Amino acid sequence: MSALIRLRGVCKDYMSGPEVVHALVDVELEIGAGELVAVVGASGSGKSTLMNILGCLDRPTRGRYELAGIDVTERSTDQRALVRNRLIGFVFQGFNLLPRTTALENVELPLVYRGVSTRERFRRAAHALAQVGLADRAHHTPAQLSGGQQQRVAIARALVTNPPLLLADEPTGNLDTRTSHEVLGLLQELSEQHGITVMIVTHETDIAACTRRIITVRDGRIFRDEPNAARPAAAVESRP
Amino acid sequence: MNALATSLRMAVTAMLRQRLRSMLTSVGISIGVAAVVLVAALGTGARGEIDKQIQSLGSNVIFVFSQPATKSGAKSRANMGMGLTERDAEAIRREATAVTAVTVYSEVSAQVMSELGNGKIGVMGVDESYFEVRGYEVASGRRFNESEAQTKAKVALIAPTAQQKLFGNQDPVGRWVRVGKHPFRVIGTLRSKGQSPFEDQDDRILIPIGTWRSRVVPTLGDRVQLVMASAKSAEHSGEAERQVKQILMQRHQIAEGEEPDFRVGTQQEFQKMQEGIFTVLTVLLLSVAAISLLVGGVGVMNIMLVGVTERTREIGIRMAIGAKPADIQAQFLLESIALTLFGGLAGIALATGLMLAFAKDLGFPMQLSGQAVAVALGTSAAIGLTFGFWPARRAAHLDPIEALRHE
Ligand SMILES: Nc1ncnc2c1ncn2[C@@H]1O[C@H](COP(=O)(O)OP(=O)(O)OP(=O)(O)O)[C@@H](O)[C@H]1O
Ligand SMILES: [Mg+2]
Repeated sequence: MSALIRLRGVCKDYMSGPEVVHALVDVELEIGAGELVAVVGASGSGKSTLMNILGCLDRPTRGRYELAGIDVTERSTDQRALVRNRLIGFVFQGFNLLPRTTALENVELPLVYRGVSTRERFRRAAHALAQVGLADRAHHTPAQLSGGQQQRVAIARALVTNPPLLLADEPTGNLDTRTSHEVLGLLQELSEQHGITVMIVTHETDIAACTRRIITVRDGRIFRDEPNAARPAAAVESRP
Repeated sequence: MNALATSLRMAVTAMLRQRLRSMLTSVGISIGVAAVVLVAALGTGARGEIDKQIQSLGSNVIFVFSQPATKSGAKSRANMGMGLTERDAEAIRREATAVTAVTVYSEVSAQVMSELGNGKIGVMGVDESYFEVRGYEVASGRRFNESEAQTKAKVALIAPTAQQKLFGNQDPVGRWVRVGKHPFRVIGTLRSKGQSPFEDQDDRILIPIGTWRSRVVPTLGDRVQLVMASAKSAEHSGEAERQVKQILMQRHQIAEGEEPDFRVGTQQEFQKMQEGIFTVLTVLLLSVAAISLLVGGVGVMNIMLVGVTERTREIGIRMAIGAKPADIQAQFLLESIALTLFGGLAGIALATGLMLAFAKDLGFPMQLSGQAVAVALGTSAAIGLTFGFWPARRAAHLDPIEALRHE
């Protein structure tokens, strides 16, 4: 199986005043297409730093990162924007939808930066919203949606470009247990049925237990990396 | 094209979302653009109109006003301090070789009545040459003849504005008007001369100067308010002016270097004076424009910087989902241009309102030309581009991770 993600000796140092913080140290990692991975670890262990590098939002201090066979480490800012737009979908803890903007327009946004026509944008955004079970909420703004619904809109936005990789940094951090499992069920489905590689950073062991591989980060290193017999997330009510 | 339309829609939406803020921010731009529009309107419409008005005074006319002498003792000499008289005019007519026609007039504003209406109207006493020198043409009826002038007949010619006031749309020829207790028979009407730089030349009636002196203002003797002379041609106007001056200096016994009790002016001088006023007005308006646009532009920059800070998270989101720095920069630039264009449109409306309100007082028409609108919108867009550039650049160079973490 060819790896979608390949990290070779990736380090990330931060200057914090006069001191250097080694947020990531010599990370070696390979993740294949269609995997469902949990990233766990103590606070400050380097999970978000890792996700930011995987998401082409940040560059490693040293080392090499290949995504879908492309070395993205030394790419220009514009090319990295293109990589984010084409290959990566993001889901954040704080949902990060544009306020005062409808669900549909939020979902359309990645396509705007791809130069897709208005009509095609509408079609694909409506389809993505239907996939997450929110076809009937297309014209609601974030303020008119529950936390779980907002996170599902965010997932639809990540999906709309059909990316091979979806990165979710604590996607359930702001949700209660029931909605957490709804969202998790959706992510499981994406990985299993659509072959999207999904990486989830989480603090919650029962969330991690629903994935097929658990990576534990400690002090900027990969401390443990083992497969997991995934159990399905609790039944989700409103399947599309 | 499609991407541009989408970005434009986003920009307008962003602007409308902050209606009050947008309006307050663009006030400075509006004032500046209004001033620009006014300058453009002055440049296109009014200048030509002023030239036309000066021409309407007659051709190659030299004006002589009386001017109170300031030096004490001057009054003791003959003819001195008496102002201009009809005999001065006769002397000019006789002696000045570069002059073809000389005329005099006196005018008072008086209550004039007819059987159909009344109004305050200029009553002018003129001699027969006046029509030639000033280029008044008879529209209907006739002028007064020499015998009517000599016998001080109570006859009048009426100009269009006065005609409208006194007779409405009725034909006035053959009817009567009354000035004070004296009835005058209307023997003719005049063609419109329009606005001069000084007054509405159509709001008057013309009567023989002799009649004026004995019936309308009997206290003035043979003094007149103004003597006008036509030079033979434009080339002769300098010579004519010298001759007129010399004749009057002699008659009023004023030595070389002494301050005369009259003032001579040519049409060219009026023109220069008018152009001077224009230059002052233009410079004034352009200063207002420059200052308002600068202040307005800084205001736009400030509000855009506030907008970038407020929307840092939004910028982070857009970057994460694939916006390039250039996309972000274009978005904020478009927003600031939308803002200044909005201000520009308001400025055009403001200028139009001002023109309509003050055109009458200024005495010349100012029109909103397509050129003025183009200049105004161009200026607005340029201001938006200039002052939006730095905030947009700042937005484009934000770090996506920091931007996403921003509260
Ligand atoms: N911009 C930065 N400047 C300096 N140090 C940073 C910066 N970002 C992260 N760090 C440091 O790098 C280390 C890893 O941070 P990171 O955010 O990746 O942790 P995390 O595992 O995501 O923690 P949490 O579970 O609390 O989100 C921490 O020690 C943090 O203080
Ligand atoms: Mg984190």
